[in-house]
Amino acid sequence: MPRKSQAAPSAGQAAPDEDQVARGIDQTGAAGTTGFSDGHRMQAAPVAVFDRVSVTYPDGTEALRGVAAAIEAGSYVCVIGGNGSGKSTFAQLFNALIVPTEGTARIFGIDTADEGRLLDIRSRAAMVFQHPEDQMVTSIVADDIAFGPENLALPQPEIARRVEESLRTVGLSELAQADPADLSGGQKQRVAIAGAFALRPDLLVLDEPAAMLDVRGRRGIRRVCRELNELGITIVHVTHFMDDVLEADRVLVLSQGRLVLDGAPAEVFSHEHEVRELNLDLPLSLQLCEALEKRGLAVPHLADDDQLAQALATDAPRALTAPAPKPLDREAAPAKTVPQASLDAQPVIEFENVSFSYAAPVAKRRRGLLARLRRKRAPQAPLPSGPWALRKVSFSLRPGTLTALIGHTGAGKSTVIELACALKMPTDGTVRVGGILTTDPERRRELRRAIGYVSQSPERQLFAETVFDDVAFGPRNLHLGEAEVEQRVREALATVRLDLDTIGDRSPFALSGGQQRGVALAGVLALRPRILVLDEPMAGLDPAGRKRTVELLDRLRSQGTTILLVTHNMDDVASLADSVIVLDHGALALEGTPEEIFSREEELHRIGLGAPGPALLAGKICVAGLDLARAPLTLPALADSVASALALKKEGGTRGAAR
Amino acid sequence: MALRVSVGQYYSADSPIHELDPRAKVALTLVYMVSCFFVANPAMLALSGAFVFAAIAASRVPVRLLLRSVRTIMFFLVFTSVFNLFFVQTGQVLLSAGPVAFTYDGVWAAALYTLRFLFLLLMGALLMCTTTPIALTDAAEDLLAPLARLGLPVHDAALIMSIALRFVPTLSREAENIVAAQTARGADLENKGPLAYARACVPLVVPLFASALRHAENLGRAMDARCYVGGAQRTRFHAMRFVPARDGVAVTGVLLYLVGLAALGVLL
Repeated sequence: MPRKSQAAPSAGQAAPDEDQVARGIDQTGAAGTTGFSDGHRMQAAPVAVFDRVSVTYPDGTEALRGVAAAIEAGSYVCVIGGNGSGKSTFAQLFNALIVPTEGTARIFGIDTADEGRLLDIRSRAAMVFQHPEDQMVTSIVADDIAFGPENLALPQPEIARRVEESLRTVGLSELAQADPADLSGGQKQRVAIAGAFALRPDLLVLDEPAAMLDVRGRRGIRRVCRELNELGITIVHVTHFMDDVLEADRVLVLSQGRLVLDGAPAEVFSHEHEVRELNLDLPLSLQLCEALEKRGLAVPHLADDDQLAQALATDAPRALTAPAPKPLDREAAPAKTVPQASLDAQPVIEFENVSFSYAAPVAKRRRGLLARLRRKRAPQAPLPSGPWALRKVSFSLRPGTLTALIGHTGAGKSTVIELACALKMPTDGTVRVGGILTTDPERRRELRRAIGYVSQSPERQLFAETVFDDVAFGPRNLHLGEAEVEQRVREALATVRLDLDTIGDRSPFALSGGQQRGVALAGVLALRPRILVLDEPMAGLDPAGRKRTVELLDRLRSQGTTILLVTHNMDDVASLADSVIVLDHGALALEGTPEEIFSREEELHRIGLGAPGPALLAGKICVAGLDLARAPLTLPALADSVASALALKKEGGTRGAAR
Repeated sequence: MALRVSVGQYYSADSPIHELDPRAKVALTLVYMVSCFFVANPAMLALSGAFVFAAIAASRVPVRLLLRSVRTIMFFLVFTSVFNLFFVQTGQVLLSAGPVAFTYDGVWAAALYTLRFLFLLLMGALLMCTTTPIALTDAAEDLLAPLARLGLPVHDAALIMSIALRFVPTLSREAENIVAAQTARGADLENKGPLAYARACVPLVVPLFASALRHAENLGRAMDARCYVGGAQRTRFHAMRFVPARDGVAVTGVLLYLVGLAALGVLL
């Protein structure tokens, strides 16, 4: 039985022991020292040693099996693995939140099973978790960062110093007095890192800190981790993003509780087969190499973008076996031709000059004395002067297409979604769904049948005792017969690759995270909506889950469902969307096909949105000196254009030699 | 959003009221609030009104913000004071229409109850707006320290209060999301009898509970990781110091107000 160790203090712990306080003070300003053993430095000595560690949870699930590893001081380690690989459990071994059932975990030479020394470990092995909101104890940023040092019973001036310094390190000094609830996800997570850093740890463990963040937020986290590592703090970063991994000195790959690969990133990714088997993504650079190989080109497998670009530009491809064969069908970009009929058809969602302000509806709804008085004062009931969540936005969605809605936190994406689903009413302008005005209460029921809404983290809405009842909730609200309900539930679950007979009677709360999301999706699909609106359906999923979701969306569209997808992943936009809507500060900034949108780099950059990975890699290849004919947005397109550019170069080369 | 406004919204500003020792501020606010119940004549009402508005002016918190945060409760107060209008039938009749008569005493009672409660609420709101949650809990902990000697978990209670305030916006936003998602799945809360209504709430309440439990579990783990040990000695980021030049002035001000109030009560 693993003990989820309690923070229950023994008598000796009630008062913080003195040398701990002393250590905290000694360390100030010397965060760079990695010395961990009472004074004498032990450079490169392991900070953590795991000796055949197994962890079995009380319900019998085996989270880790015989994991053996040592983490060197000052290193930057990434831990990767799919959902259920045990990586979260592994992360929690580092600060004794979880204690091995078998084997031993020694952190700074201290056995984590020694409850009397928990604080010795935790004050030096700080941890940051996936959900920043759940790590904050108070509503002022600076006060929250002070929580750790307060617990260490440091003197007040020292706490103040650390708070100030931690904020500076993560670049949030100007937000010291802000309410965490008002910050973006990336900023919140940086507050959490500052809170951990304020303990002046020797080791910082981050458990999927960027799973819920956009590219910019992720980049911020990565930069902060790098800087902390340069200060001498050992970083253990649990992630499933491959660009994070390339940042590390060492990668540990977990699969089903076992440590299956361990080494430098390049080394680990050279085991391409295994990595794929484990349902993990390869870095884009290596995916390109593979794609080029399929096109008959032998290229060196380099994980580093710049190195690969250089290699492609300078070395002629060594073995061009035959004229590059037609790429495999599976890989070809799906032809994105919008059926002619749908171009003529009525738009299914239509926004006309829509504005929305959170301030307005309150005043509008009130029909009491106050409102009447107010109306007298201002007979025209002018629109509020702001703040506008949305300002004069017009666009329309054609049936059977997938439209990506992109923009920053606070750009108005959620507001657009809620307006489209008739969950909010426009302050000004009109929203039509399938020709029905969202403000028309008479036809609300009809509208709700037409449009399905998958909110962010939809698994959080699961409520019923069984999976069947949860998925059946929607159809039952439509007052369908039980036979029809069952038919729909079965079908909807099948669509998300789940089987009613196997999981129908289980509690949705007992399923894995990925399955829960599937059930939640099925709950919406069971309504058979013609229009589907999804808010970040891929957030927080591992590569396998992402792939499943992308396939699902593609399938739904091919069956004629119109899809509006909010996402912050530009790769998904490039490979999935028929058209793109870019919002910036509540206004429509850009609209068009992915090709059109991504060709306007400067505007995107100004808004703070990036380009898809393949386009970025293409840019690097161009800079290295290999001219690509056009800007590819997807991996197959990139591979095609690299292949033809190389072929051209070779032709030129041979011709030159012949002359 | 509504919840967020009424519970613990700190308004950051640079003012003497913000800087007061939170213990003094909490204690003086309580004294003032109690004094409101002794207000019995128009002069006293004017004095206590003047006092609260002077405090608001000194705090640089916009009056509108304070009024908005007491809006919901004021609605109930106005409602109950209307009863006074109808049921207090002594004194000079000001207006009568058939069986209904408004008397001088009735109008006075209605005005008195509403206004003195408004002043009391405004002072409470002012405390919340000028004091960070941490400072409030620290102050409460110090003021309740005698209870800790009796073995009551004062410190833990204070921390729980701070965390509760912290999670109000999180949970209310989640509640909104859940309502939106279930509404989109056709949940209908309108036009239902009490039993059906209770049943219809299940899809909203269960996820919210599940979510609260998940937050609690994650938070507990995060607090463990940040070296929190229940009941252990901790230090504080914000030192609380009683500065005579600052807090003494405030105490004197409140004492003078009390004397004035008592004098007006006795004289009139």
